[in-house]
Amino acid sequence: MTEIYFAEIEGVEYQIEILSDNRITINGEPYELNFQALRQHLSYSLLLEGKSYEINIYQDNGFWEVLLRGNQFSVQVEDERERRLRMAAGQASKEEGKLLLQAPMPGLVIDIQVKEGQEVDKGDVLVILESMKMQNELTAPRAGRITRIQTEMNEHVERKQVLLVLE
Amino acid sequence: MREVQYLEEMPGLLEAARREAESSFGDGNIYLEKLIQGARHIEIQILADQRGNVIHLGERECSIQRRHQKLLEEAPSPFIGSDQELRERMGAVAVQAARSVDYINAGTIEFLVDEDKNYYFLEMNTRLQVEHPVTEAVTGIDIVKEQIRIAAGQPLLVKQEDISLTGWAMECRINAEDPYRGFLPSTGIITQSLLPAGPGVRVDAGVYSGYEISPYYDALIAKLIVHESTREKTIARMKRALEEYRIIGIRTNIPFHQNLLQDPDFLAGNFNTLFVQDVLPPLSASHQDKTLAEIAALAATLAAHEQSERAALEIQRSKRDLSNWKWVSRWEQTRE
Repeated sequence: MTEIYFAEIEGVEYQIEILSDNRITINGEPYELNFQALRQHLSYSLLLEGKSYEINIYQDNGFWEVLLRGNQFSVQVEDERERRLRMAAGQASKEEGKLLLQAPMPGLVIDIQVKEGQEVDKGDVLVILESMKMQNELTAPRAGRITRIQTEMNEHVERKQVLLVLE
Repeated sequence: MREVQYLEEMPGLLEAARREAESSFGDGNIYLEKLIQGARHIEIQILADQRGNVIHLGERECSIQRRHQKLLEEAPSPFIGSDQELRERMGAVAVQAARSVDYINAGTIEFLVDEDKNYYFLEMNTRLQVEHPVTEAVTGIDIVKEQIRIAAGQPLLVKQEDISLTGWAMECRINAEDPYRGFLPSTGIITQSLLPAGPGVRVDAGVYSGYEISPYYDALIAKLIVHESTREKTIARMKRALEEYRIIGIRTNIPFHQNLLQDPDFLAGNFNTLFVQDVLPPLSASHQDKTLAEIAALAATLAAHEQSERAALEIQRSKRDLSNWKWVSRWEQTRE
């Protein structure tokens, strides 16, 4: 039974068709392979075009994290049904331009360098977060206006906690 | 530590450095020093016992740094290389420095070395350092064992004339940092830690499967040290060992090291302390090896496919056996 998947890495999409256990196509190109789970699905052995790869794959935060030859890739995988659902949802609620700045790791808010209503440029320092004995500058991923600040100085924040809203 | 390029930057950077010092040490006093640009960081390991014997164990090259934190160290230094005269001269100065303060213990005299091979005293580290294993590898001397002997009042096991450097050693510091996102610290639980092995490979690790990386300590979690006969072979061995080292559940800087170890300037030994910041092309998730990215996309898809197949199988099974009681009794009956 043929199944079609879409895998995306940093904006590059690969369409992968699974024809059988050992035959697939990548963007239409046919390949033969052998894929075997090892160690309770923690690592996998892939034989592809005469080369052997030992790969670690685990799920984190909606991504498939792939450790391959000392590189790490974050892959988003969806099948046709998931893609249709996402497309439909994407058209229903079009809330563009709102960006939540989240703490990338737990830490202590040392300084907030912006005020509500302030216009910022891409790369401007917004918040200084101390973690692992280092002060990390969290910068604006793009230009915009700070509409809300949801943290305060000396607050201990958790990973993913929303610090401020940029529109 | 902060670097001031222009006078206008001084107030802001001074403030930031004070803040960091105050929160870390409870004292906002800081030093101002002249910046020697384009310098290499090369240091000399010394050993000094209580009986007046002081020797040096050659140098370590520590120029691969980010924000003044060392990331990779090697011995010998590719910059000093076969210049035995410079090695002896720097070694003699280090021994003299230790003697002049009646130093007892293992220690390190750090130097900045400019392009013309002038060297400047940087500081002395009066302790065992993170990078000591590279010196142990090339000299065959167990520095910790020597420290214990020194503390017990025993003489050093070796004399200066017994010291020679064999082969090449390199250490990669494995940090819980995401090299694709500006080296942001990575926290969480290490679900699996698979160590590299084989001849000439040493791992000094402070973490294991199930260990939780908290935000309260610095990011260094392990050190990977390899030893081979030449620098080229050492690098090849290090690349293989880095590939084998799998730390799952958190992000590490292993991809940074892999990227560094294939850089032509690094391979040529052509770098200084600004190399990582200014010269080395940064790792970018969108500029990864195209072939490997395709394989990663394929592998993730196959894993996702396999998972959904397994889930489908479980649903099928529960359709067949609606009642768990029925299922259990049947299973018990068919059992021997």
